[in-house]
Amino acid sequence: MRHFRFSNDAIDAASETQATHNPAAGGFASFEGWVRNLNEGRTVARLNYEAFEALAVIEGEKIIAEAIKRFGILTAHCVHRVGELAIGDIAVWVGASAPHRAEAFAACRYIIDEVKHRVPIWKKEFYTDGDSGWVNCERCAQPTSASDHSHQSHGHSHPHPHAAHPTHHPEPTAEAVVPAANYSRQIVLKDIGEAGQRKIRSARVLLVGAGGLGVPAALYLAGAGVGVLGVIDPDVIDASNLHRQPIYTQGTLGQSKALVLKQHLNQLNSEVDVRAYVARADFKQLHELASGYDMVLDCSDNFTTRFVVNDVAKALGIPAVVASVYQYEGQIQVLTPSGACLRCLWPEATRDGLVGNCQEAGVLGPVPGVLGALQALEAIKLVVGMRSPLTSHLALIDLLSFETRRLKISKHPDCDATHSAPARGDQPILEVLSLDDAIAQSLVVIDLRNPDERHAHPLTVAHRALGSAEILANPSLLDAAAGAVLVCAKGVRSRALAQELTGRGVKNVYSLKGGLG
Amino acid sequence: MKIHIQYYALMREQANCSHELIDTTATTGRELYRELSNRHPFTLDVSQLRIALNGAFAELDAPLTEGVEVVFIPPVAGG
Repeated sequence: MRHFRFSNDAIDAASETQATHNPAAGGFASFEGWVRNLNEGRTVARLNYEAFEALAVIEGEKIIAEAIKRFGILTAHCVHRVGELAIGDIAVWVGASAPHRAEAFAACRYIIDEVKHRVPIWKKEFYTDGDSGWVNCERCAQPTSASDHSHQSHGHSHPHPHAAHPTHHPEPTAEAVVPAANYSRQIVLKDIGEAGQRKIRSARVLLVGAGGLGVPAALYLAGAGVGVLGVIDPDVIDASNLHRQPIYTQGTLGQSKALVLKQHLNQLNSEVDVRAYVARADFKQLHELASGYDMVLDCSDNFTTRFVVNDVAKALGIPAVVASVYQYEGQIQVLTPSGACLRCLWPEATRDGLVGNCQEAGVLGPVPGVLGALQALEAIKLVVGMRSPLTSHLALIDLLSFETRRLKISKHPDCDATHSAPARGDQPILEVLSLDDAIAQSLVVIDLRNPDERHAHPLTVAHRALGSAEILANPSLLDAAAGAVLVCAKGVRSRALAQELTGRGVKNVYSLKGGLG
Repeated sequence: MKIHIQYYALMREQANCSHELIDTTATTGRELYRELSNRHPFTLDVSQLRIALNGAFAELDAPLTEGVEVVFIPPVAGG
């Protein structure tokens, strides 16, 4: 059976569910997109979907294959309606079955988000006032309030992410007259002036991450009048984000960060062409996306993405401004095509999970606010051609003591030859899905958790408690012949350590996926 | 030999201080890190951090001198 198809007839959810059954499945999740009677304040009577089916089916199949591989689910499929639909009809159905519920939920979410973003489907709405119009993805995908989020009609879309901006939005053109008053406070600066403002106006800047760093960076760049501002982020807004991402509100919880940020930026400065991409930045996708931009800002929260941004910037020969935060301090660095890159600074592939992120280590809200604002500042300097003192330098900023340092980074002799290839050094990760699987494979269970975590959720199977540092200092503590499974609370530390050890040539080291809780 | 040490991020947290002045027999940054690991619960492998001597990045095996300022810089991911 094909995993992705179009249907001219009504979708029968029960028979679709039946087709997803699998004896090995312990969980099934589905999503239905319904036709809603309201869009942007206009009453919709009915609508019509059209797809470029040959291309759409190929892309749809690709998305489901990605979901199966990425989440380890048993199967999934997606049916999308074409033709005329009435209010309440199912426009799209997605179902995924998996051994456990978490993968089923995640895969289902992934498939619908990617389908909306990547599959070329268009929607024509017929309004009760007799009018009609073609509608694109983002206008429909953007929930107007938390209450209608779960019932939002399922709208589409763009044949290509580059097209992801509303058709009614004014396009920036070379002829557009910038009202001087808007930017007068920066034009008056002698390093900016009218000439600098024209450069800002024609700049295209891509932000990777719409979180603690991305929000302030985006606000200042939109305020400055950057011509095209792209924002890529796969996440939805969580209550724990609001203290450091304060343009999001309690009313926008659960909504896409990229889309809500875009909406806000459009209100801040309607002259800026803001393009939102709800996706994770892997090398291939970011390489394609960033080729339409002059510069990338890395506002992500993990090393994997930071290195992807570095590699893409190197490969495309464009500058990048990279920042990160930890509790009360931050690091910021400007990468230029001829200067030192992130891999010149951190030559050992740094792993997520070995040093804390905001969730694990904590962070005070204004700290990424400061660093994100500095990223916007450095970006503007690059755009107008002012000297950036952070090119080939790392700035360390301690906001508790207000001590700052700027250290010169030497460019590695092989930087240009070797630092732009993707995913270097990332060994395949060996994961087990449950402790039962690990025991069935006679793996020695190694508990990496701290005493508090061990006390909160004691392990009931035979195991050894060892610290990450102990193992890194002496990998022979693990009996490679027997094989070992590393376990921690969330599966992040164990995955990082397994990856690091495998990279160092230690055999048979596995990580327990998802951790022990 | 007396040296000044500054820690950042995870290492500051694990050392429970940002600066310290210590008397050491270590002759390189690598040896110093090993010695400090006996006093502080550091979890990073030495290959994952960078050191700066008197305000410039240096190799882990570069020699330490009397009165030198050593900065330990771990990578930082948050955003």
